[in-house]
Amino acid sequence: MVSLAVDNMLVGKDEPKGFLFENCRRNAFMAKQGVTLPKARSTGTTIVGVIFNEGVVLGADTRATGGSIVCDLNCEKIHYIADNVYCCGAGTAADTEFTTRMVSSKMELLKLRTGREGRVISALRMLKQYLFRYQGHVSAALVLGGVDVTGPALYTVYPHGSTDKLPYVTMGSGSLAAMSVFEDGYKVGMNEEEAKKLVRDAIRAGIVNDLGSGSNVDITVIKQGSVQQFRPYEVICKKSERQGDYTFPAGTTAVKSSHDMVPFSALRVTDEEVMEIS
Amino acid sequence: MSLCQNDIAYDAPEWLTGEHMTGTTIMAVEFADGVVFGADSRTSTGTYVANRVTDKLTQVSDKIYCCRSGSAADTQAIADYVKLYLDLQENETNEDPTVEVASRVFQMLCYQNRDMLSASIICAGWDKNKGGQVYCLPLGGMCVRMPFAIGGSGSTYIYGHCDNTYKEGMTEEQCLKFVADAVALAMHRDGSSGGMIRLAVLTKDGCKRLNIPGNQLPTFWSK
Amino acid sequence: MSSIGSGYDLSAGQFSPDGRVFQVEYAIKAVENSGSVIALRGKDGVVFGVEKIITSKLYEEGSNRRVHSIDTHIGAAVAGLLSDARAVINRARDESANYRDTYQVPIPLKSLTERLGKYMHYFTVYGHLRPFGVSILLGTWDETNGPKLMEIDPSGTARGFYGCAVGKGKQNAKTEIEKLDLSNMTCKELVKEVAKVIYSVHDEVKDKHFELELSWIGKETGGTHQIVPQDIFNEAKTYAEEALNDSDDEDTDM
Repeated sequence: MVSLAVDNMLVGKDEPKGFLFENCRRNAFMAKQGVTLPKARSTGTTIVGVIFNEGVVLGADTRATGGSIVCDLNCEKIHYIADNVYCCGAGTAADTEFTTRMVSSKMELLKLRTGREGRVISALRMLKQYLFRYQGHVSAALVLGGVDVTGPALYTVYPHGSTDKLPYVTMGSGSLAAMSVFEDGYKVGMNEEEAKKLVRDAIRAGIVNDLGSGSNVDITVIKQGSVQQFRPYEVICKKSERQGDYTFPAGTTAVKSSHDMVPFSALRVTDEEVMEIS
Repeated sequence: MSLCQNDIAYDAPEWLTGEHMTGTTIMAVEFADGVVFGADSRTSTGTYVANRVTDKLTQVSDKIYCCRSGSAADTQAIADYVKLYLDLQENETNEDPTVEVASRVFQMLCYQNRDMLSASIICAGWDKNKGGQVYCLPLGGMCVRMPFAIGGSGSTYIYGHCDNTYKEGMTEEQCLKFVADAVALAMHRDGSSGGMIRLAVLTKDGCKRLNIPGNQLPTFWSK
Repeated sequence: MSSIGSGYDLSAGQFSPDGRVFQVEYAIKAVENSGSVIALRGKDGVVFGVEKIITSKLYEEGSNRRVHSIDTHIGAAVAGLLSDARAVINRARDESANYRDTYQVPIPLKSLTERLGKYMHYFTVYGHLRPFGVSILLGTWDETNGPKLMEIDPSGTARGFYGCAVGKGKQNAKTEIEKLDLSNMTCKELVKEVAKVIYSVHDEVKDKHFELELSWIGKETGGTHQIVPQDIFNEAKTYAEEALNDSDDEDTDM
């Protein structure tokens, strides 16, 4: 009974559990026929970090995209690694989320084993070795920042596993816009307020000029012994107010006659035959 | 940031997806008391300069350094492995590792993984057996000792200059000038080399670092 | 259960109440029953000499060697149970090859003895294992570090030596060796002395026949461990035999 099957689908009673691989063969066939399959694509993000006189400021936008659709207006891109280490992620959301989560867990275990606060370089090593092992297939482009016994530290980690240590860094598709702000405005030994302002400007540049970045500015400030999170620090793309009223009174659309209309409940398969194919 | 990999989307530009390459000029010269290193400071992905103040001179043991060129991820990973190997050996034998061993380990890693790596390295340093030494490790996993070595994309522009300028038995100052001039010339002609010049002098007493900022590079006929 | 061991000697995994591991001591005894093996470290190399006792005239000459090459640059001479020795030699070769694989250079003798000592010691701490009835002498030479000579006993302890003797004639051999000015002697001179010491400590009453084995490594051989060439071997053997005859004559004179 078709109607029965439709009912079940809506209710979800006999829904198969786990992944469905039924389209894999079809996709392979289509690819053979010359259909270009969707390509894996990375960042639509702006993430930045900057060192100031007392610690590190990390910043990120909050837009998550699925293709050309904005999936999440206010997603969290500054991930927790340890109490003194945070990490901004750009790239495939699942990859950044799970790599940072894995490293976070390893850092916690390291802390318990050593009885000391973890260091930023430890997290860096774990990240770069993990990403190098997967030869760029785990698309996580990260900005890692924190404060430890050696003072503030800031790194970028690329999906292939290379790392850079710099006083100010940007990542993601909005990184060019953000970097231009940093190159213009960075000063050695800034105070917290200046650093936050600079990060806000950099992320704003990404949000405004890059299609993949949008919504709000998130900021995390890490200092010796303290972490402050501003979520959001500032809302850049405020949703505009709806101007008109789009509700229509009943009877707005004229109906000529209701004679030919068949009610949905009248549709019923009365007989069904299953044919065996092999 | 995207949620899943299968979304149909605009093709990301290659400066985002591309692997980081150190389109580079690197160099090392032997002299009586040790070695002099030189390198530019540019790291690029496609046309974007990802890092303009990179330090491509990487320490692998107390008195052994390497200059990295090729994929940044690959060369960093190799250097980390060599560091590990030399540390293990130092722990076992209680002696400083020799430059020969370091470059042999580099060679072993480069050769055994030659299908997966794009790395060409200059390994140089000082040890008590043979003094200052420079070993050149080009792409396929070869390893050869040379009185001086140049590498990276920028090196092709300065082979003639180096062959013409190099003299046996140069002093530390002469070597520094030789390296700074050669790297500056390469940076001048090679689009993927640039930034500043990073120099290092390594002797039995340790490593001395020098930097020449981008606005104070040696100039030649075209000011 | 009655006399020496009192039940504490059945396993290498147990101490006796006075803090001894009898199994290890018995293994050392096994080495002391072996034919004498000596090695001398001169100024330009190391020379090994072995008194290989022949228990039957029917044996083919040159069988059951007691000097071996571990790697091109390391020589070894073993005293004790021959089959145990082979296991130790094989392990030494594995360690040496493993070091080369990892670091791409020949293994330093110190590292080899440490690794081999660790291996032999492993067999002295578990009840289900038996210590090796073997002492092994290891020697090397290279241009930068000069000659090195080391010994590992069945307990796994390793020591460095200028001159070393193990086996049944070790006491006599040591007194002979102590008379030599080792650090000023070349390999060529040492070969003769090694032969002489082996001949002088051989006990003709207890063991009728023996075969002399000589090998060396040093400047002479270019840092490669080799069996002493036939002409030099003959020379050394003649020298040793003559020296022995002379001392016999002296004895009869008196």
